[in-house]
Amino acid sequence: MTTIRLDAVRRTFGAVRAVDDISLTIGQGEFFTLLGPSGCGKTTLLRMIAGFCDVEQGSVWFGDQRIDKLPAHRRNTGMVFQNYAIFPNLTVARNVAYGLRARGVDRAQIATRVEKALQTVRLGGYGERWPHQLSGGQLQRVAIARSLVIEPAVLLFDEPLSNLDAQLRVQMRVEIRQLQQSLGLTAVYVTHDQEEALAISDRIAVLRAGRVEQVGSPEAIYRAPETAFVAEFMGATNMLPGEAGAFDGTTTPVAACGHTLHVAGQVAAPGAKVMLSLRPETLRLVAAAAGGPCLPVRLQLREFLGPIVRLHMVLPDGTPIRVSALAGQDAAAMPEGDLALAYDPAQVVAFPAP
Amino acid sequence: MKSLGGIAAFRNATTLIALAFLALFLLYPLWLVLQNSLQDEASGQFTLQNFTQILSSPYYLGSFRNSVVAGALSTVLASLIGVPLAFCLARVDLPGKSALMTLASLPLVLPSFVSAYALVLLFGHAGVVTVALRAIGIPIGSIYGMSGIVIVFTLTLYPYVLLPTVAGFRAIDVSIEESGRNLGASRWYVFRTVLLPVVMPAMLAGALLVFIEALENFGVPSVLAEDKPYLAVDIFKLFAGESDSNPAAAGALSVLLVATTALVLLLQRHYLARRRFATGARRAPPAIPLSRPWRLAASVFSWGIVLLSVMPFVAVVVISFLRFHGPVLSWEFGLNNYASLLRGSYQPLYSTLLLASMAALLATLLGAPIGYVLTRHRTRLSGLLDVVGMIPFAVSGTVLAIGLLLAFNSGWLVLTGGWLILVVAYVVRKLPFSIRSASAIVHQIDPSLEEASINLGVSPLKTFVTLTVPLMLGGLAGGMVLIWVTAASELSSTIVLYSSKWATMTVTMFQALQGTGAGEAAAAASILIVFTLVPLLLVYRLLRRHDGSLL
Ligand SMILES: Nc1ncnc2c1ncn2[C@@H]1O[C@H](COP(=O)(O)OP(=O)(O)OP(=O)(O)O)[C@@H](O)[C@H]1O
Ligand SMILES: [Mg+2]
Repeated sequence: MTTIRLDAVRRTFGAVRAVDDISLTIGQGEFFTLLGPSGCGKTTLLRMIAGFCDVEQGSVWFGDQRIDKLPAHRRNTGMVFQNYAIFPNLTVARNVAYGLRARGVDRAQIATRVEKALQTVRLGGYGERWPHQLSGGQLQRVAIARSLVIEPAVLLFDEPLSNLDAQLRVQMRVEIRQLQQSLGLTAVYVTHDQEEALAISDRIAVLRAGRVEQVGSPEAIYRAPETAFVAEFMGATNMLPGEAGAFDGTTTPVAACGHTLHVAGQVAAPGAKVMLSLRPETLRLVAAAAGGPCLPVRLQLREFLGPIVRLHMVLPDGTPIRVSALAGQDAAAMPEGDLALAYDPAQVVAFPAP
Repeated sequence: MKSLGGIAAFRNATTLIALAFLALFLLYPLWLVLQNSLQDEASGQFTLQNFTQILSSPYYLGSFRNSVVAGALSTVLASLIGVPLAFCLARVDLPGKSALMTLASLPLVLPSFVSAYALVLLFGHAGVVTVALRAIGIPIGSIYGMSGIVIVFTLTLYPYVLLPTVAGFRAIDVSIEESGRNLGASRWYVFRTVLLPVVMPAMLAGALLVFIEALENFGVPSVLAEDKPYLAVDIFKLFAGESDSNPAAAGALSVLLVATTALVLLLQRHYLARRRFATGARRAPPAIPLSRPWRLAASVFSWGIVLLSVMPFVAVVVISFLRFHGPVLSWEFGLNNYASLLRGSYQPLYSTLLLASMAALLATLLGAPIGYVLTRHRTRLSGLLDVVGMIPFAVSGTVLAIGLLLAFNSGWLVLTGGWLILVVAYVVRKLPFSIRSASAIVHQIDPSLEEASINLGVSPLKTFVTLTVPLMLGGLAGGMVLIWVTAASELSSTIVLYSSKWATMTVTMFQALQGTGAGEAAAAASILIVFTLVPLLLVYRLLRRHDGSLL
């Protein structure tokens, strides 16, 4: 139960700046996620907190204690590894007891705490089993119990669910979140799966090439991305290049793909090149005749995905654009004739063109 | 790294102790050999005369040429046998495949000069087969000299090519082959253009090992060369011979030998550094469906080669139970060879057991931490250790032993005449193997296991001792047995360094060979074979290596 503060930390490997002057403050009891594409430095940053990776510059603080010079085994963090890292030569109970024995806790207490930790992760009674007798999901739970039982200052997760199958992944992330909330632990979680990050976090930091691109709540990151990179990384979106016109007091007209879109607020100086992000689920298919802000489109392909239908459309100038619609409310139900996409000017996000 | 705590001290201590050990017992002796070769023997002045003398002597040039030619021929033949055999083992459904695999790796650990001696017993001047054939009027050619040496090298060293090539063929995912066939290529075409090039680096790495081993080997030419000059034998004679001793010339020849092997080793490293094909087979490719005649042919070929290579050892054991009348065998069974061998004393038996055990223990105690440090905590200094630690590969046992004699015959540290110098020689010679096998073991332990332990509050040093070492033990035991086995049958440095009190079984056998005790030599050879096989079979059982390979 600690706040974590990273102050301009940096780490280079050869010519690569894996972590490039990152500053973050993670609040007490917060579930904080580091999200980003492969190689962006998530693992490096996490390992700096755990003490497995030297901090070249800057400092790391737990509360008001500076810890970046403290050896890894004295930092009191509980880390859950991607491949579980369960000691194959110890039973489940001995695995969980490992950190307690290292701390010299007395035997009677170890036994009760281990059993309690195993019950917490719903593995009560599994103590005498050997690791090779457990499934992947169970091993991951042992790893979590092993980290919890030492009552760490912070919990660290490095892609803990990426070795599990899709269903188990969803189930485990709910369990991890509930555990963290009920114990009130500060947690730092690394993933490259944006859906997982959105589902589990209090706040997310999106990383790109060793730098923080944006920090914020899942809603803010998803709805109001500050950069085109974040917009694209947080799930499929339609990016349309355009040129801003003069702000009329409520919206800015943007000429894009042979049409004029209206974007809420003043997004850029007149004549500036911009990129517009239109999320597929904010677009609605309507008959061309209907009023309101909309774009004329032609249907190219329809993908049925169960709960939703993905429509692949093209604008008159040939630019592809994708739309997600709830099944039963899409083109199949549409009248013959010209189609259009209705959009909400408030949900269009504009970025300066690169 | 500061955050590594106690492990940094451990790493530095390991590196420094290992470097000190190698500097004292490898580099310093080698330096003395070099220095010796550049000195005038009488005056101690610097001179190149020893080299010019050798390079202008037809005898020594012949000796060098013979060694290189024998090495090259053996390498080619071992590859010609090894690659098809590897393909059969990897891809043909052979009867008794796992037994075949075990037998095929045996010649590597059985003492090769025993195989050479078996050839003499069977086909030598008074050999069983020679005599039998002569009796019915069929003369056979001499197996002494080049032909015999090449045959023995080929039959004892081909596993160096075979084992990595089998692994190579097994690591090629079947989809690669299928896509070739899918594109319209015949099986043979795919083999030639895809499979063979992919296993080529592994094969060549093995082939160069064959060459180096053949070049350095002392035992086989000393049994089979008769009068033909061979580098390894001449070095020994020049150094230790009673009549024609010339240590300076021995030094010059040694430098020549070490330079050649080092060059080959460097070529091998250079070549391999640029060629690695990741083929990531999820499982071994399936056996190729063959028609009955082809399958029969493959089985006969595979079993034929493997049995042929193991046969000499079987022959020696059988012959050791026969009675000799002088050099001539008679078909009476008995234990009298063993009786007369051990009548002298049991001391060689004890010496062998003791020295090999000490060597195996020390080489492991030294090599395992080095292997760990090199794999997990590389620094510039430990990088140096990586290079120095592989030098013993390039140094033949005879040359190392000569260097040790030069270094520790007088002065502040006198080791000659005792047991320690033998142990030192064995440890130095087996160190590369020990380091490599330890580092292979560490590679298989996921680093996150150690990190998890540290993360849970156990210091890095304690993690190493209480977690990593127990995880390594199984593999280390296997490596230790292999060191034991090869140290027990070590001849080339033993023969230079032993003192009568510490003569080993190999020395006994060597002396029996030189004298008239053919029967005793056979008995000694058989004891060596037993010494080799029993621990191997035990460890094989223990580790349950189902892939059948012993190495
Ligand atoms: N030990 C190392 N030596 C050299 N370079 C490294 C090392 N560790 C990381 N890097 C480099 O630092 C950068 C960041 O690596 P890092 O492992 O932190 O990425 P990541 O965000 O965790 O990626 P992934 O999602 O693939 O796990 C990469 O470019 C990587 O190649
Ligand atoms: Mg990572």
